[in-house]
Amino acid sequence: MLPVLPTTVVGSYSVPEWLERLKTDYYRNRISRSHLGEIHDMAIKAALKDQETAGIDIVSDGELRRDNDLDYLLARITGVHIPVTVKSFYFDYYDSPVVAEPLPLDPPLPLGLAEDFHFTRAHTDRPIKFSFTGPFSLSRRIQNKVYSKPADLVRALAQVLNAEAQALAAAGADLLQIDEPFLAGYPEDVGVAVEAINIVTRGVDVNWGLHVCYGNRYARPSWEGHYDFLFPAVLDANVDQLVLEFGRKGYEDLHVIQQLGWEGALGLGVVDVKTELIESAELIAARIRKALETFPAEKLTINPDCGLRHLPADVARAKLVAMVEGTVAVRRSLPENSGPVRPELIPAPTVEQGA
Amino acid sequence: MLVDFRPTGKLRGNKPVDPTASLGPVLDALAEDSVDLSRIRVVCDWIQYRNNFRDVVDLRPILAAHGHESEVMPVALSAVMTSDEMEVAIDVRRSGDVPLKELTGDLIRAHAAGTNPSRLYLEPWRASSKSMIWEFNALYWKALDLWEQITGQQYEKTLPGGESDARNRDAVREIITSLFAIWDSLAERNALPDELYVVEFGPGNGSQAKTWLDEFTALDRVHGKEYYRRLHYLMCDYSPHVLEIARAAVADHSQHISSFVLDATQPRTALGFLAYKIFLVYISNVYDNLPTDEVAQIGGRTYTVESRAYLPTNAVADIAQLVSAQPGQVPGLINKLLRLQPALLVEALPAHFPSVDVAVEFWRRSWAALRLEEQYLPLVGLDLYQIAPTVSGENLRPLLESGAAIRMHVNNGAVASFVDTLPLLHPFGRLICYDLFVTDVHAYRTGFRGPGKYDGSVVNWLNGPLLAHIGRRKGFDVDFQRFAHRAGTNIVTMTAQVRD
Repeated sequence: MLPVLPTTVVGSYSVPEWLERLKTDYYRNRISRSHLGEIHDMAIKAALKDQETAGIDIVSDGELRRDNDLDYLLARITGVHIPVTVKSFYFDYYDSPVVAEPLPLDPPLPLGLAEDFHFTRAHTDRPIKFSFTGPFSLSRRIQNKVYSKPADLVRALAQVLNAEAQALAAAGADLLQIDEPFLAGYPEDVGVAVEAINIVTRGVDVNWGLHVCYGNRYARPSWEGHYDFLFPAVLDANVDQLVLEFGRKGYEDLHVIQQLGWEGALGLGVVDVKTELIESAELIAARIRKALETFPAEKLTINPDCGLRHLPADVARAKLVAMVEGTVAVRRSLPENSGPVRPELIPAPTVEQGA
Repeated sequence: MLVDFRPTGKLRGNKPVDPTASLGPVLDALAEDSVDLSRIRVVCDWIQYRNNFRDVVDLRPILAAHGHESEVMPVALSAVMTSDEMEVAIDVRRSGDVPLKELTGDLIRAHAAGTNPSRLYLEPWRASSKSMIWEFNALYWKALDLWEQITGQQYEKTLPGGESDARNRDAVREIITSLFAIWDSLAERNALPDELYVVEFGPGNGSQAKTWLDEFTALDRVHGKEYYRRLHYLMCDYSPHVLEIARAAVADHSQHISSFVLDATQPRTALGFLAYKIFLVYISNVYDNLPTDEVAQIGGRTYTVESRAYLPTNAVADIAQLVSAQPGQVPGLINKLLRLQPALLVEALPAHFPSVDVAVEFWRRSWAALRLEEQYLPLVGLDLYQIAPTVSGENLRPLLESGAAIRMHVNNGAVASFVDTLPLLHPFGRLICYDLFVTDVHAYRTGFRGPGKYDGSVVNWLNGPLLAHIGRRKGFDVDFQRFAHRAGTNIVTMTAQVRD
């Protein structure tokens, strides 16, 4: 049973400098894939422990196996050819992934995300959010040499992700999140992106989140603007929750989102991930209370603006602690009958034994 | 014994250098001593700066960590080496003019005795970036008017070409034209902000800002988009006096000018409110004048270079006589000069400094005689060495990892400024910097890149590959091009802009 105003993360967790170095060493053939895998396993266990210690209600694996938001998936999608698989720095994107033949979709080949989920499930008894980059953003880094319309590539990628989502659900995932970090840069394509999101979610009976921010590449925003660009298209998205960035930009868009008709849940960004300054619990509480003027508590989940990847580990931990403390303070000030809610959101977790 | 003859280019050409003329006397002096020759490395450089901080020949201990106390942390807690090694450094350019063997012998004996009577030390061992030379450098910029009066020469006239390259009109037009293209493109997408910010660090006398703004208005008139109306040109310097002078130079554009007092190494302290909003940051000949450490890779280990300033005792008597002082008082008087500046020094110590002219002459002579003694201090881990706030020494790894011997700048001040400036840039913004850049790490193996004395200031080349690596880690493409608008210049244009 989750409390009112459950706390969670968006996805990625702090990547310490030593891990960056080891990830880059892999690309220079200095450590093996096997050793890197073991390093990732250890790092994920530590990230889970950090989140639990901070008091986060819904945790993630920190996306620590992934170099960035795209490559982990693109490199696993059959039909996406990556001509140069060497990088000078692990976080860089692969240069020019190419799709030269239609993606095999009958059925799509698995990407292995379910195995990642299994590992996480085995190492925490808390509810898990599992996130992956959405088809629109994946398509933006691909040289499309086969589909006559860019939208057709987006739809094909969506089918691949739909199969993966089914595998994740079968593995026990019950809260999946689609990240579309590129969408804010292409507001004219929201319709295609939403159509593709609905392909991803089709027939997958879990709680779905959709995360849209203004970019967090190298800890910088890639775009600026307002969330009105999502509407009205996003009202047709088959997702339960929008997970949005407010901590850095301010909360003016909350009214826009409400007035334009969003009736689902909202993942409220209350921590600016682009600064190492640690918000106080009081500031976090004030931000949540501001949001409560527009959205009822039972519709809000509390999270950072985006992934914590670029923050030093001590800063990431401190920000999560402040976020939890601020949230707890608000919970205590809510009326008694606001108590534990949304048991439907996250079914009771199942912990694998002996893993 | 290893001999590292760096200026290999000097071994060929019309007047090839005879390396034996430098090495022979030094090796003779070493051979006559009981020093363990297997623990000696000899390094030959060609110090191109007429005024610099080095003697023709010097010894540099390569320290093991045991028992060593230093301001530079961390040091290795357990020594791998059982005793110190030694580097003998020779300036090949000047070595023909001195009795090299005798000088080397004197240095060896002084090192063995633990004291060098021919040197009057002005400070303890410090990281190079903390050396007194940077206080002299700061004094130069604070009291430039007094220095220029004494020397009778304006700073800008001492630059190659007689003016800052930032004033080159062709270069300015090229930058403005590319800005217009970006703004046009953003305007088409209805994404052009109302306010268009351009920032210049170190505006000097304002002449380059005036050139830039005059060209901007002319080009904008032709372009017809009225960008000048939306333009805000921000001049930033740590000296209110400099900003006042610069503002006067751009009085015609006063409605579009703002000035900010700030430390170039921490621009966000004043400009934080412009995060992600600035389209152009314009820096000319600032980075080379900011404090820097040096690191060295020797025998597979990494060291920082520590230094301590001294005056040759044969120069001290003359300086002391100028200010009616005993030689032993000179270090204290120099420290007071650096703290108080010449004008206040006259008020505080009239017996020594009866006029500002005497104070400035004391400053000038002390600066001219100033030298740096150096030693190498081992680093236990690059991650524990801080290049700048939020930038760890891990960023040096790609430049050092070949293991080959190298000594290079860290440019701590420039790196601090650079990484604190990048967050100010608009997603389509650019940082453009004219300066002396090493663009290939290998250049550190074949040439001396500073520090030197440039008039009353310190000059160093900038470690371009390091800045490029750090910029890349922060999501920026960093590009170096030789300055295209003046022939024969060493100036390189560094451009940083968002990648992906």
